[in-house]
Order: sequence, then C-alpha cells, then structure tokens
Amino acid sequence: MAGGARGVLPEPARARLRLAAEALGPLALIAIVALVGAQLSTADKTDAINVLVITAIVVGLYVFIGNSGVISFGQISFVAIGAFAAAIWTTPVGTRDATMPDLFGFLASPRLTNLESLLVAAGLGAVMSLVVGLALMRLSGLSAGIATFAVLEITYNVLANWEKIGPGPTVIANVPATTGIPQAAIGCAIAIAAAFGYQRTRSCRLLRASRADALAARGIGVSIFRHRLIAFVLSGAICGFAGALYVHELGSVSVTELYLALTFSTLSMLVVGGSQSLWGATMGGTLLGVLYSFLSNAVSGTTVFGLSFTLPNGLNTIIFAVLFVGALMLAPRGLTRNREFLAVALGERAPHPRGPVAIALAGGDGESPGDVETGSSGGEAASRSVKFTPGQPSP
Amino acid sequence: MSSESETVQVLACHAVTVAYAGLRAVSSVSFAVRRGEVVGLIGPNGAGKTTLVNAMSGFAQISEGSITLNGAEVSHLAPEHRAHRGLARTFQHGRLFKDLSARENIELGALAVGCSGREARRRAAALLEETGLLSLAGVPANELSHGDQQRVSVARAVVAGPAFLLLDEPAAGLPAESLAELGTVIEQARSGRDAGVVVIDHNVEFVMGLSDRVVVLDHGQVLVEGAPDYVRHHEEVLAAYFGSVATEGLSR
Repeated sequence: MAGGARGVLPEPARARLRLAAEALGPLALIAIVALVGAQLSTADKTDAINVLVITAIVVGLYVFIGNSGVISFGQISFVAIGAFAAAIWTTPVGTRDATMPDLFGFLASPRLTNLESLLVAAGLGAVMSLVVGLALMRLSGLSAGIATFAVLEITYNVLANWEKIGPGPTVIANVPATTGIPQAAIGCAIAIAAAFGYQRTRSCRLLRASRADALAARGIGVSIFRHRLIAFVLSGAICGFAGALYVHELGSVSVTELYLALTFSTLSMLVVGGSQSLWGATMGGTLLGVLYSFLSNAVSGTTVFGLSFTLPNGLNTIIFAVLFVGALMLAPRGLTRNREFLAVALGERAPHPRGPVAIALAGGDGESPGDVETGSSGGEAASRSVKFTPGQPSP
Repeated sequence: MSSESETVQVLACHAVTVAYAGLRAVSSVSFAVRRGEVVGLIGPNGAGKTTLVNAMSGFAQISEGSITLNGAEVSHLAPEHRAHRGLARTFQHGRLFKDLSARENIELGALAVGCSGREARRRAAALLEETGLLSLAGVPANELSHGDQQRVSVARAVVAGPAFLLLDEPAAGLPAESLAELGTVIEQARSGRDAGVVVIDHNVEFVMGLSDRVVVLDHGQVLVEGAPDYVRHHEEVLAAYFGSVATEGLSR
C-alpha cells in the first residue's frame, strides 16, 4: 500500500483496498479498450472486439498456467470445442443440413440462443478439461507440456476429420455474429472476475504454493493433483466460453483458426505480459492483441500511413512464436514482472527477483525421492561442526 | 513394536529398508515414537537419518518393512495423505514459500490440512505470538534470517496440529542464541500440543537436550537406542562418530 495509506488506514482496510484495486485494474483496462473501440470505424471496431476476446482467452490460459506454473499447449482445444459447439448450435438448422449433413442428431436439430450457446460452450469446456485433466494432471514439467500438446493435436484432428460432429476441414458459416463491443467487454470482464475470484480461494493459494515449491507443498499436505485439476477445469470453462465469444465475433469458423497459430499467439501474450499475475495476462492480452489484429490484417493486406503492404502468409504466427521464445529467454517474468496491478502502479518490487522462470518446461512436482535431500547429501557442512562433548551433561 | 504400543498413538518403523540402485541407505530399521515424546535421531554423515525421515513422511519409497501410524499401515500413502493423517515434517533449509510472508507461510500449513481461511488466520496468529514471531509476521520469507526461517518452518508444520512431527535438521547453521528459541518452539509442540517429535540434527548437544530418547544410526542401521546419557557414553557411538583410535583416547 502507499506510504500515506499505510499510516492512516488499519491493516484490514488496507488489505480490502488493495484487493479492490487489484481487481479494478484489469477491469478498467478492458473498459478503456471497449470505450475506445466503440468510437472507432466499423473495421477498426472489429479489431477492438478481437482484442477483448483474445484477452478473455489469455485470462483462461492464465488461470491454469499462471497459477500452477505448468505449461499447457492444450488450452486452445477447449476454445475450439466451445467455438464449435456455439457455432453448430446457433447456426440455422437449414445451413446445418446443407453444410453438415452427417451431424449426430443431437447436434443437427436444436438451436440455442446466443446466451445459451455461451453457457453451453463454457460447460463443455469444463467437462472436456475435466476428462483430460483427470488423465493429465498427475504429470508435470516437460511431460505435461508434451501431453497437453498431444491434446491439441487430438482435438484438431478429430474436429478436422470427423464429420459427425462438425464440418470437417471446411467452414461453419452463418454463425450469428452477436459478439459486438458490449458482449466482448462483458465476456472478458466475466473471465477476469472468475480468474480474480478463483485466485482468492484456498485451492488457488495451495496451488500457488505448489508452484513455488512442490516438495514443500506436498510435505504440508497439498494435493497437487486436486488443485491443478480445479484450475484446469476452470481454465477449460473460461476457454470454452471465450471460444463461443470468438465464433460469434467471426460469424464463421474453421478448425485451422483454432490451432497452432492461436496457441502460440495467446501463450506469447501471457508470457510477454507476465504469466503469474492477472494483470500480466490482461496487459499481455490487450497489448499484444492489438499487434495480433494488426498482423492478422496485414497478412491479407493493410495500409499504414498511406503505405499499403501485405505480409507473407504465416509471418504473423512466426512473429508470435519468436516473441514467445524471446520472452521466455530474456524476460520470463514479462512486462509486469509477475506483479498485480497495484504493485506495478506503486512500483513495488517484483516477487523472487532472482527466482525461477515464470513457467516450467521441465522439472517435477516432488514425486521422486531424488527431490528430497537423501542420505548424506544435506549434511556435509553441518557434519564439520558436530558438537558432541562426551561425558558432559546436556544443557 | 508390541500390539499394546499400537493402541496408544504411535508412529512406528518396522524393519524398514530403503534401497537406491542396490545401495541400502536404510537397512531393517525399527523404532517408534509416541505422542508427547521427543526422539532424537543422530548418526554420522551418511548414516541414513534423512532417508529414514523421507521414508516415514512418504518422500522415499521403502523396499522392505512397513511404517504404521496408530497401528494403520501408511507405507503406501503419498506424503500429502500422510500429512492429512497427522504426520507433519520440515525440510533441511526450511523450504519456505519465499515470496510469502511468515504469516502466509504458517497459514498455508493450516489451509493445506483443510482449515478454513478464518481458522488458518486464527491459528497462525496464535502461533506467531507463541513463538515470538509476531513482529516478523509480514516479512517475506526470503528476507528472514536463517534462524527465523527455521522457526517459521517449524511453526508451519506445527500449525496443522499434527500428531507427529518430523524435524529434519532444524538447527543447521543456527547461532547459539537461536537454538534456545527453536528449542522452545519444539518443546511447545511436544508439551502444549502433545505431538510426538522426531528430530534429526548434526548438533548432537541440541538433540540430546531436547530428546527423551535417542536413536543412533550408522551405515543405515540402528547402532544404539536409549536415554541421552546412555547414548552419550556408549562406546559404539563414540567409535561411530570419532573412530576407534579417538575413542581409545577419550576413554582414558
């Protein structure tokens, strides 16, 4: 807290004030993007909507990756599942019959409203992440990263090839484009509120303890599996929800739009912003979301200060992949140095300035005995100063 | 371990062996600790003390034998499940959560075993006061002195209200003035909370001063077990620590 407030306010009031400020910072940033976006031309407004939706996805990633410290390449699977569910169930039945004739009956006939589709997408994201998480959350480090990548691959290939659940490699068209600035801003605010509420919970505090020191956490009784699973499911729900926002923004979707490019772009945003703080996720999502929209437009041709140019196809993805690796190597704590809004605003010191990197690509969760000092390993120094005086009474 | 001893609350090792790649770090060790009792576990470097504590807390897999808690076998349980059954431990070098304050570290110890946030805050506040750490409550763990980190580490284990407490080198590197404070914290855990305590430390005088009973390990086996004064004068113990030549010199 600021020096002035420290002297005036009692500790509980300062804590509440700090809490409110930490929640309001990210929400205020979203409000600013929404307000500025509302003033823009129709074309630029689309970019603002895109920034808000992308930020919601990044916040979804943060809930698991940021709080657990375990990298996951699979969260975009839940975005894809949410997007496909929302798209299929809101597309006119006639369009479905014409473009996806092989759909299962439960996908072919019902038609949901916009709000229903958002809720169903969130629910499906949660259910799918629960199923995946039950199998994967016992893994950590590099194995977890590889396994989550496999989830992304499986999801992509199933959606791209199984025409009973979608259009296969083609596009789902005629999706109601209901995500304007208000829906995108409210949706993103809901994602932020969920992430903020979660990080106040006992489960999240214990998960963060396991992120800091898995061995010590297990030693005091933290079930890393359980708390990682909770975060994974909430992350899946937010990603599914954001996927529905996304498809209702685009008006059409194909599975290739929900694959590697989006995975690396959103991971880059999280890492560049600061993967271990909600403020970092929001900052990364909005700032790099602008770059993402610009580059996406530039691939199909754009004009800046009267200069028209077109970027080679795929360059936008390469730029974000380079940003991801560069941030991991050079600034693993990101722009915010993993601090929340108020700490950044007050210039407070970053946590563990010489500590470990933001997310773990390798390392364990204290499963192996080798993680604990065993046998003689811990006592070399102490053994040189053994204090044993034979024959003298104990103090 | 007799069946009678298992009816009172006892943490017991029954012929426990821990082997890594063919090397027996602990070999057929049996001993027990009752609630309200402090047992010191000493031995020269490499004797297997930490390995035994790792086995008791679930961080090292045992190859043979069993570990029981109040008569129920816990050998197969993961460390976190043993913690929920009342077995807490500390680690060498404290292993505090460095970004968190002393208070938050202690609160986590209570939260981890299922206490509500309010109860965790209440327990942490009481323990901070009891251990003389109140003035350091808001200090991040990585800014605490080594001695204070060790005390917070013990407090983080004690706050869970464990029936048994395994302390792995709590006095390592502490100056003499901090030893008394640490000893008080451990004594409070024993007498105030009726916890059974197993303490390993290279500072043998510190361990002797705290313990009701001392178990001496050497080469992974129990060498001697008994009251501190008995162990202190035991020739095999002297030989294990100082070698036979030195022992001959001492015994003259």
